Amino acid sequence: MLLHIVNRSPATSQVYRQALEGMGQDDRLLLIEDGVQGALPQLVRYYDGLQGRLFALKEDLASRGLLGRCDGEVQVVDVDGFVALTEEAERTVSWY
Amino acid sequence: MSETPTADLLVILRHGPHGTSWLREGLDAALVAAAFGREVSLLFMGEGVTALLPGQGPGALGQKGSSATLEMLEMYDIRTLLVEEQALADFGLQVDDMRLTVIPLSTTGVADALKDHRLILTF
Amino acid sequence: MATTEIYRYLDCQNKKIGLDPEGYLVDLDDWSPAVAQALAEEESIILTREHWEVLDVLRDFYARFEMAPAMRPLVKAIGQALGSEKGRSLHLMRLFPGSSAKVAARLAGLPKPTHCL
Repeated sequence: MLLHIVNRSPATSQVYRQALEGMGQDDRLLLIEDGVQGALPQLVRYYDGLQGRLFALKEDLASRGLLGRCDGEVQVVDVDGFVALTEEAERTVSWY
Repeated sequence: MSETPTADLLVILRHGPHGTSWLREGLDAALVAAAFGREVSLLFMGEGVTALLPGQGPGALGQKGSSATLEMLEMYDIRTLLVEEQALADFGLQVDDMRLTVIPLSTTGVADALKDHRLILTF
Repeated sequence: MATTEIYRYLDCQNKKIGLDPEGYLVDLDDWSPAVAQALAEEESIILTREHWEVLDVLRDFYARFEMAPAMRPLVKAIGQALGSEKGRSLHLMRLFPGSSAKVAARLAGLPKPTHCL
């Protein structure tokens, strides 16, 4: 299992498409920085099909006032959760 | 759940020539790794596929392009050139438009390529 | 594109040739066989026909790819141009002791190879 990390918003960048293309069936996706915008209910559709494998970083949501506005499909993790995700993955791949 | 990767280093190139230095830096990383004996595969994704178009030249102010470096890959034994099929379609390009021999990858092919390599660098 | 400013000069046929801190030509157009001779003397290398063959391969490589090669691709280029007998790192190390790819690039009037340490 690979952990993919996206730091760009799907509203402004096509990078999310490359991440999706690179993802295997059990790979996970973590949204960080501006990427957390993709956790909003209006934008989460870009990540259709990732149910249970989609994460967003709490600290980045909080600093943007987006905490509590996430779609229910998205699992919010803090920095420790980020570290745990990294440890569980064989490798991480950054898409920026 | 997942098999051990069989290939060594995958360098993903997602930027075209000129404009930014990402392509050049990605190629540099690939060449350094190859010079030190690593087996390198390249994967051209998104805008990166335009790096493989023939007929490129220097920039408007005479800046060097990446054309000569791409020609040189073979001298560094970098022969596995993978291309995202979707990106070719997005840019209206065909495999035959590429000036080096490339292997087109479907969406699942891209995911498999990532899984297959021990190390992945994205540029 | 080669380098920065002149660090010292090489005397060659009453001309002063600018070199960078590592001894590479600052202006690549300054190169001539006489300059190669003078640079070789600094390395205590006497240029033989076998040396000149390698320098030619290097200059061709640079003309084609716009970069000076690291050891592996240099060995490969020499093998392609001069035959597999010479396309071996031992041959190069005998001709250009030390960091062969760097020494040979210097004498051939190329910039420092980018992809080796």
